[in-house]
Amino acid sequence: MSFDAETASSETVIIHVGEALDFRNADDFKATFQEHVDEGVRQFILNFSDTEVLDSTGLGSIFSLYRAISPDDGKVAFADVSEPVQVVVQLTRTYKVFRQFPSVEAAREAFAE
Amino acid sequence: MNPFTKTYTDLDCAIDEVRSLSDDWPPPAQNGTVDDETLHCMCLVLHEWIANLHQHAHFQNNTPRVEIRLTCNAEQVDCSVLDNSNGFDLASYLPTDDEDPEAFPERGMGLRIIEACTDELSYSPTEDGLHRFKFIIPSDHDPWLNTLF
Repeated sequence: MSFDAETASSETVIIHVGEALDFRNADDFKATFQEHVDEGVRQFILNFSDTEVLDSTGLGSIFSLYRAISPDDGKVAFADVSEPVQVVVQLTRTYKVFRQFPSVEAAREAFAE
Repeated sequence: MNPFTKTYTDLDCAIDEVRSLSDDWPPPAQNGTVDDETLHCMCLVLHEWIANLHQHAHFQNNTPRVEIRLTCNAEQVDCSVLDNSNGFDLASYLPTDDEDPEAFPERGMGLRIIEACTDELSYSPTEDGLHRFKFIIPSDHDPWLNTLF
């Protein structure tokens, strides 16, 4: 399964996480973001609006993204976070690292400031 | 309240089905039921556990088999997962207090999540050579008090 990635600007890419990000497709997610990281993108918005499943391996792949871009002051934002994803975010306290926004548009506006 | 019992020989199928249990089970409240947050935690724990079996367990030459049993009342959810793997020592894999809590590791967070969500966690051999993973989630359990970091 591939992930839908939309280039919002030369600096920002929006990845639609879709129904699930788990141990079965975490490598596909990594391949998706790596392509954009290699092109110099350092701001990523993850759209969780349809996401029913985020497991520890999926979350680990997001940490990989964060580690890839954080040396260059890159940012990862969570947008439109669904309830199952919110449970994982709260349990792991990853809200300390990844800012959350009520919508993709709100995240885009924050990145544009 | 109706218990849930189902045996799977396809672990991918088991993972897909347990994630929908928060919508499909338990049936509408009769004598009270647990809240949505508890059910989401239950589904997350079952997903993490079966994913762990899927990725790491040794089934020798046998077809993997898991049997999931769930019961629920107003006080708690009781869960067990019986499997035919070789098993492992759960205690030796659980996170220790001296691990760096801010490391945000790429691997190994599944058992941390399981531990944070549950009470009375165990994984032990049965008399007939299988292994049983058991846990409860009380309705007043606050996983945020057990959060990982």
